[in-house]
Amino acid sequence: MKKYLITGISKGLGLEIARQIAEAGDYVYGISRTMTPELRELMSEYPDSINHLPFDLSATELVKEKVFKEFVGLKTSLAGYVNNGACAYDDIISNLDYSKLEDMYKVNVFTPMMMSKYVIRNFLLHSVKGSIVHISSISAHTGYKGLAMYASTKGAIEAFSKNTAREWGERGIRSNTVVAGFMETSMSSTLSDEQKDRIFNRTSLKSATSLQSVASTVMFLLSDKADSITGENIGVNAGTI
Amino acid sequence: MENLLSIINTILENRGRKKCDSISPETDLKRDLGFDSFDLAEFTVRIEVEYDVDVFEDGIVYTIGDILDRISV
Repeated sequence: MKKYLITGISKGLGLEIARQIAEAGDYVYGISRTMTPELRELMSEYPDSINHLPFDLSATELVKEKVFKEFVGLKTSLAGYVNNGACAYDDIISNLDYSKLEDMYKVNVFTPMMMSKYVIRNFLLHSVKGSIVHISSISAHTGYKGLAMYASTKGAIEAFSKNTAREWGERGIRSNTVVAGFMETSMSSTLSDEQKDRIFNRTSLKSATSLQSVASTVMFLLSDKADSITGENIGVNAGTI
Repeated sequence: MENLLSIINTILENRGRKKCDSISPETDLKRDLGFDSFDLAEFTVRIEVEYDVDVFEDGIVYTIGDILDRISV
């Protein structure tokens, strides 16, 4: 049974990734701020496969103590980490609010970097060729009005992932990003139907990106089937070209 | 000291290198043991598990003596 650390598992994509890992017979150390009815249901369906830590990802300085010492524990050998939990602060640049920007960078960039630090240390301790998968966003590549600040956090993560792959490749540690398109999740729930239609019309498939497709790609990258793939940004976005 | 030697030999073995017979406070991690930055990272992690101290947190360590100083604090 392989053990994976995943953030943002209470809903949307994180919940779907946790479900696919549990279904595959592996184990989830899942983090989210809150417990949702959907997560509670999944945990009762797989009581021996999911452990949940209520944790706010903006508490970057507590990552070592709360996540790695108390929750996962040094003795536990992790096989992978999925940086899924994120927040989106959207506005036009001329309205940029520094405090909101700082909070978003803590959740989307600084905490995932600290998590990577301790995940790599865990891999080293247990001599594991682990896999790190970051969820990025198509907005970092195509640009959307109002998403400049959010997209910049994902651009940072893509660069971090590429360099993680280069730095730790000789120890067999892999790092990739999945560049997801717009999914029907709470993160895009503030968009109007008209805005969504406009976004979907920019895709080849003229549709939203499915959670299942993104989650399955994450599963593939975590697995040994992807053992020659590292430093890549894999697009799963209904063909946004 | 014996505990540190055993950790060092675990790392050398993992790299497929020859084991080390003895160390002293003067032993230099890079020059005498041939540790690179990845070996030092693994060394840090293994020491932390044993002694609950991150020896690199307050700057770079060069010798076994430096480590002994930090883990006895």
